[in-house]
Amino acid sequence: MADYSIWVCEYSYVSKYHKSGVLYGAHNQGYVKLPYCYVVIKGRGHVAMVDVGYNDKAYGKVLGDRFGVENWRSPKVVLSEIGLSPEDVDTCFISHAHFDHFGNVEDFPKAKFYIQEREISKWVWAMSLPDRMRWMMVAVDPGDIVRGVDLARDKRLVTVDGAMEDVLPGIDLHAAPDSHTWGSMWVTVRNDGKKQSQDTWVLAGDLVYQFSNLKNSGAVVDVETMYTPVGLAVGSQSNLILATEEMMSQVGYEDRRVIPIHEEGLRDTFPSRITKDGLRISEICLADGEASKVA
Amino acid sequence: MSAMDLFTRLAESHKPDCMLSLEGPAPEAVPDPEVMASVLGSDAAGLYAAACRPVYEDLRRIIGQLAGLLILARLTARPEVTGLAEMERCRARWSDAGHRLRALAAPAGLSRHKAQLESAHAFSGDVMRAFSDLRPAADLTARLDHMSLLIKRAYAHLDAASSQRARLQMVDFSHACCSCASQHSGVDQQ
Repeated sequence: MADYSIWVCEYSYVSKYHKSGVLYGAHNQGYVKLPYCYVVIKGRGHVAMVDVGYNDKAYGKVLGDRFGVENWRSPKVVLSEIGLSPEDVDTCFISHAHFDHFGNVEDFPKAKFYIQEREISKWVWAMSLPDRMRWMMVAVDPGDIVRGVDLARDKRLVTVDGAMEDVLPGIDLHAAPDSHTWGSMWVTVRNDGKKQSQDTWVLAGDLVYQFSNLKNSGAVVDVETMYTPVGLAVGSQSNLILATEEMMSQVGYEDRRVIPIHEEGLRDTFPSRITKDGLRISEICLADGEASKVA
Repeated sequence: MSAMDLFTRLAESHKPDCMLSLEGPAPEAVPDPEVMASVLGSDAAGLYAAACRPVYEDLRRIIGQLAGLLILARLTARPEVTGLAEMERCRARWSDAGHRLRALAAPAGLSRHKAQLESAHAFSGDVMRAFSDLRPAADLTARLDHMSLLIKRAYAHLDAASSQRARLQMVDFSHACCSCASQHSGVDQQ
């Protein structure tokens, strides 16, 4: 029995991203492909997403010119590959406020958005700091926050303070304060609907970029593997590790159930296909009665 | 009123919840200071491009802060945000930006660029003053709705004055999870 289908939908990518950005301390280890994805969750009468990507009109040129970000496709095009449209989406969980996760709310006209209150309040604080501390305010677009003002006016924005259970049936939100960002969160899907679920998926946002953050070499401490944080934390690497432990405990330490969205290796773990636009759809699980979108 | 007049009126008037219904110069695409400097070979344009950067940065931060505070005021229904230290710092930054703007000399061709910055400054000032007028226990809905229009308008003006080439950008991409500082700088940091 599975209530929800989950797909990871690639909407753009950078072919050559420095590995030390993905994996803390991985200096001089070359480059990896970094897909940009969002997650679609469908079932129980809902279509939900974890993050909404960015809007190419606002950022496309600078990302393309300066950082080699390629092949952006709109949510309309990307979601059509799994038989959905942006108008079908009723709920969006924003893992954090970076522009590539919260940068396209206008493409989802019927959705209600959930974000940690701390992500907003600490942004306000960070923007008030002196120029010499500007590092702490990278990657957030004031325009996305301005658009959040409209969402709030329209009662389509919900700020969450910490954990929130059953936001949708069997779907919980969990906070990871002062980690990748001030108010990052992850989404847990209990796909059998049970409190003590045997079928849990964790959608990690940017708390985990790739599987290597969950399972990196532990040779330095004579263990087989150990957690290693992502390369960017405005909070602390320790908080990233603590969040990773909590995510892993939720899935019984079965690491394939913690889903990173910048992971090209999803193709090796889950059924997937490349669309006509050259973007990957990875099928994490299927609800009862749902037909595969990658077969 | 003739049929043409009515048509023109309907076509040109904005709904009350549209930011363009607010009075003042419209947000509009304006010349890029860096382009002007290089095309005209103008020192004055170059000096303007450099001098407007800190003003732009101040306004970017002010608008971001005020938008965040508006969300919090709306969703927590607590107007006490007005008394936060962050609001005080926002006011100080706004005041500094005003001084810098007044001192900013815009050469011919860039006065429209400066006007966009001035409008962004003016509308964000309106939002700040409106925050000061919020009172606990009052029904804030109408006031917050109006403040939402003001902040959108301020952002629209700043957006109009943005220029990647002049390094007047809304987002600092340098450490974003999807960017790559080494590619940007041309220096291999690996």
